[in-house]
Amino acid sequence: MRYRVRHLTEYLYGAPVTLCYNMAHLLPRDTHNQRCLSRRIAVTPTPVYQTEGVDYFGNPTFYFSVQEPHKKLAIDVECYFEIEQNDLSNQLTLHDLSCAELRALIQASQSPELRMVKEYTLDSVHIHRSKELGEYARRCFTDDTPVLQACMDFTHQIFEEFTFDPAATSVSTPPEQVLKDKRGVCQDFAHLAIACIRSLGLPARYMSGYLETLPPPGQEKLVGADASHAWFAVFIPDLGWVEFDPTNDLMPNEQHIVTAWGRDYADVTPLQGVIFDGGDSQALNVSVDVQRV
Amino acid sequence: MTESTIAKLAAQDQAPLTAPYVAPDRAYDEAFSETRQPRLPWQPVMSAVHQLGTEGMQDRHLRAQRILRDDGATYNLKSDPLSPNVWSLDIIPNVIDKSEWLNLETALKQRAHLFDLIYKDLYGEQRLLKEGVLPSEIVFSHPGFLRQCHGMHWPSETALTFHAVDLVRDQSGQFIATGDRTQAPSGAGYALENRTVVSRVLPSLFRDSQTMRLAGFFQTVRETLSQLASDLTDSPRIVVLTPGAYSSTYFEQAYLANHLGYPLVQGGDLTVRNGKVWMKSLNGLSRVDVILRRVEDAYCDQAELRSDSTLGVPGLLEVARQGNVIIANPLGTGLLETPALLAFLPQISQTLLDEPLLLPSVTSYWCGEQEHLAYVLNNLHQLIIKPAFRSIDNKSIYCHQLDEKALSEVRAKILADPVAYVAQDYIPGSVTPVWDNGEMLARPCILRTFSVANESGYCVMPGGLSRVAESTAEAIVSKNLSGSRSKDMWVLSDTTETDIDVPLDNLPISQAQVANLPSRVIENLFWFGRYAERAEMSLRLMRTIFKQLNGIDHFPIESREVLLGAMSEISGSQPGFIEQPELLMQPNDELAALVSDGQRVGSIKSNLQLMLACAEQVKEMLSADTRIILNELRDHIHSVDRAYVNGLPAVPEESLDGLVTSLLAISGLNHESMLRGMDWMFQEIGRRTERALLTANLLKTTLSKPLPSLQQQQVLESVLLSVEALISFRRRYRTRARVSYGLDLLMIDRSNPRSLIYQVDQLRKYLEELPQSDQVSLGLSREKRLIIKSLNDIQLADLESLAQIEESTQTRAQLTELMGQVIEQLEQLTTIISDKYFDHTAGPQQLIKAKWKNNV
Repeated sequence: MRYRVRHLTEYLYGAPVTLCYNMAHLLPRDTHNQRCLSRRIAVTPTPVYQTEGVDYFGNPTFYFSVQEPHKKLAIDVECYFEIEQNDLSNQLTLHDLSCAELRALIQASQSPELRMVKEYTLDSVHIHRSKELGEYARRCFTDDTPVLQACMDFTHQIFEEFTFDPAATSVSTPPEQVLKDKRGVCQDFAHLAIACIRSLGLPARYMSGYLETLPPPGQEKLVGADASHAWFAVFIPDLGWVEFDPTNDLMPNEQHIVTAWGRDYADVTPLQGVIFDGGDSQALNVSVDVQRV
Repeated sequence: MTESTIAKLAAQDQAPLTAPYVAPDRAYDEAFSETRQPRLPWQPVMSAVHQLGTEGMQDRHLRAQRILRDDGATYNLKSDPLSPNVWSLDIIPNVIDKSEWLNLETALKQRAHLFDLIYKDLYGEQRLLKEGVLPSEIVFSHPGFLRQCHGMHWPSETALTFHAVDLVRDQSGQFIATGDRTQAPSGAGYALENRTVVSRVLPSLFRDSQTMRLAGFFQTVRETLSQLASDLTDSPRIVVLTPGAYSSTYFEQAYLANHLGYPLVQGGDLTVRNGKVWMKSLNGLSRVDVILRRVEDAYCDQAELRSDSTLGVPGLLEVARQGNVIIANPLGTGLLETPALLAFLPQISQTLLDEPLLLPSVTSYWCGEQEHLAYVLNNLHQLIIKPAFRSIDNKSIYCHQLDEKALSEVRAKILADPVAYVAQDYIPGSVTPVWDNGEMLARPCILRTFSVANESGYCVMPGGLSRVAESTAEAIVSKNLSGSRSKDMWVLSDTTETDIDVPLDNLPISQAQVANLPSRVIENLFWFGRYAERAEMSLRLMRTIFKQLNGIDHFPIESREVLLGAMSEISGSQPGFIEQPELLMQPNDELAALVSDGQRVGSIKSNLQLMLACAEQVKEMLSADTRIILNELRDHIHSVDRAYVNGLPAVPEESLDGLVTSLLAISGLNHESMLRGMDWMFQEIGRRTERALLTANLLKTTLSKPLPSLQQQQVLESVLLSVEALISFRRRYRTRARVSYGLDLLMIDRSNPRSLIYQVDQLRKYLEELPQSDQVSLGLSREKRLIIKSLNDIQLADLESLAQIEESTQTRAQLTELMGQVIEQLEQLTTIISDKYFDHTAGPQQLIKAKWKNNV
């Protein structure tokens, strides 16, 4: 499948910003089943300094600094992708590594790969393991359950028990709060799932990207209606990182486009940085279009 | 063992060559052998101590304290800016012989090299983690593992420029490392200061001792820092980045910056533009190539690291990652300070160096490993528990001091999060003699050594910073450098060392360049001048008022009203005598407050405090003599405090004289000893502006209102007295106290350095000297127009008309108007200068700025 993604981010400031430094995770990465065919990024006003790089997790980064006064900052990203089928649903019934076995493997960390995967079993900026979080996932992750099946069950559990509600949370709402309120957005569900799984001693990471949404039958797709999306992945030794989307109750196949992964949102924040001046008010507009081409 | 069980014997009563104390059991004695004889290298020291005797030693001790205070070797200014704590130094040096030292040096070089490799591995290939040599949780859980530093550019093969190690000696005398400092190691500057002081108070001992010099080490520091930017430029600009005057080791940072010849800057003095780092200076932005940093990793860049930092330079990390600035030590090195590393160091050495580790570390256990945890839980009572990840509130727990209940709490704490704890064996450490109130006592000591990268690896400072605990029972030396007494460390050579000649030709050009000053420094000097002047003017008027109040002459209400009102006006301290006329006949409390209430805005004490705070901000710019005078000023402030403790004293002006003298000494020193650079210029501009403003204000408030002739004479003479012009006035005009004569002397007499015109004329000259922007401007600049206008306004004034009383208002309206106009123009001038030359972006200096604004 081929896609074109257009991601427009606009900041509007109450007073002119005289100087800004920003680190962006907006450029998509290549994965085992995803290839970026072309990409373009344009910032207005034109940055006096910009570089592309690769971060610790292998994600592409884009760093820029604008030094002229501006009341509006726009970052316009356009990319073309090719994504191959990555259907692991058949593994759900076949793969029999149990939760207890995976936990033991991680604990023993007998291979370089497992030692490095440990990074995703520990606390990170937004995610702190706890008994309570572990309890919430325990009925899916019993010792004998195959871990893949457990992850899918747990994805389903979150999907069923939580309400999608953009008003309920902010960027920094902790998973404990989300668990209490049972409301949130894709980022919250991903963080919650990761936090619960790590609390049980298993490795999970945060996936950031886009999702192609299809309009209801008979209706035309609206421009800018798509959104950036977040989900999670669990490490299974012979399969690698297997992805789950608790917001949509499914295993991503070819409709999920990956821009970056990390331990949590803080590692892959789409745009972070500081501004000088700019007054008290800031407004942010984001529009995303994912189109098949 | 407690203090009392140690036999204490006065040094002078003993034969010189036996130990005057009994060292605690199990402890290695640095100075004395088992037979209580001084070890060979210590013999000269011991006989010197003996020869000096108690009095001599006490005298040397006091001299050392005085030198330290005059050098500004202080710390912890937060507690009380008026009585800063003075760095504590014991004058008996610690001595080690060269052959023993060389063994240690080899081991320290290897260790520095090893830590460099560990840094590069953890931020690069991560072999140590992949191969399981170092458990990956230690790194992955560490908040100091800055993933943002991935892909960092390293300028040369060696990434870790500085490495410091804390050492103790075990019972056998073997050195053992208890911790490594890899982020922004402090202490080398204190070691240098200690050496300077001890060699001054024990000159002959030092001269005859063949002690290895420290100069070579600091020369290597200079060469290495210059070399770091060799890819960027041939004449690198190097700065020292400090967290600021409230940092506990600020003295050392200022001292090092001066010794090495680099500007001392704060985060707000630097800015990132066009992908490079620049210093905001008087001449605009100037490029920075190398940063010797004393700010911790996480606080260095608000854009990518801690956004709540007030100490960093936004965008710095990206510039460093691209190699467009070199930071020493590089960002991310805080990770290597985790004590968890020590538990795995021998294997790490085998893996990365393929060599056995030469310097043993204190036996350490990381509780994240099952067997280690089990051992720790079973042997808790003899271990020290340390946090694996350094944080402010986590202190080391010395379990041998705890009871069962406390131990079980520690156990529970570890079990809740074993990964976060490291246990270490408790090593009592060696003891060394210290001079303590007339006797020699044994005190446990630790040594910090310093290494700097050079072309062939690492160069180790021949010496170090030795620190002692305050009692033998507590073999615990504070982690905080300034929290304990220190000692100089002498490495005795068997041959006389020729002094190291610093070949001047080899000095990189940057060191010959004229130092360009950060805007913040200029701004602080400007305010230093203003506060000094403000304090002095208030003091002078205050003294005059006291003389009138206690004088033999009658002090009628009209004169009181004018002079006390002027005091309120000049100090700007509201509410004052003007708003509260009932105070005029009972002025004592208000006057006492205006002198000694440091909380009262505008009081003499608060102006002096602000002046001292500015001086602290520019510590590195002050001459040794200035520091001595500032110390005297502090002492005088304390005597004023004592004199005013119960309100206005009987002879209130007496204690003020010292303050005036100190302030005069400072301005005299500036005139006679300071180079006419921009630092001098701005201090002078501050001084002149303030004196002009206050003089105009004084004339306006005291002379505008017509008074009966006796009162008029009293007021005029008081004003003249307060500006030291009464004698000249009397000589010139005898006793004819006419207002116009007074104006002649105070306003337009160019030969009077306290006249208004003198100040304005000087300001005009200084403005000519200030750097101008490159932009071509038509005609005179605004500030020049203002100053010429003020000059003309004053020159063209007709003194007789100024002294004329206007019918309708019954005031000297022309005088009021003219002074008002001059004040307004001068205030505009300061605003322009401030906008043009000082930095106004929000930064670490924000707080103090706000205070100033309230005060203007």
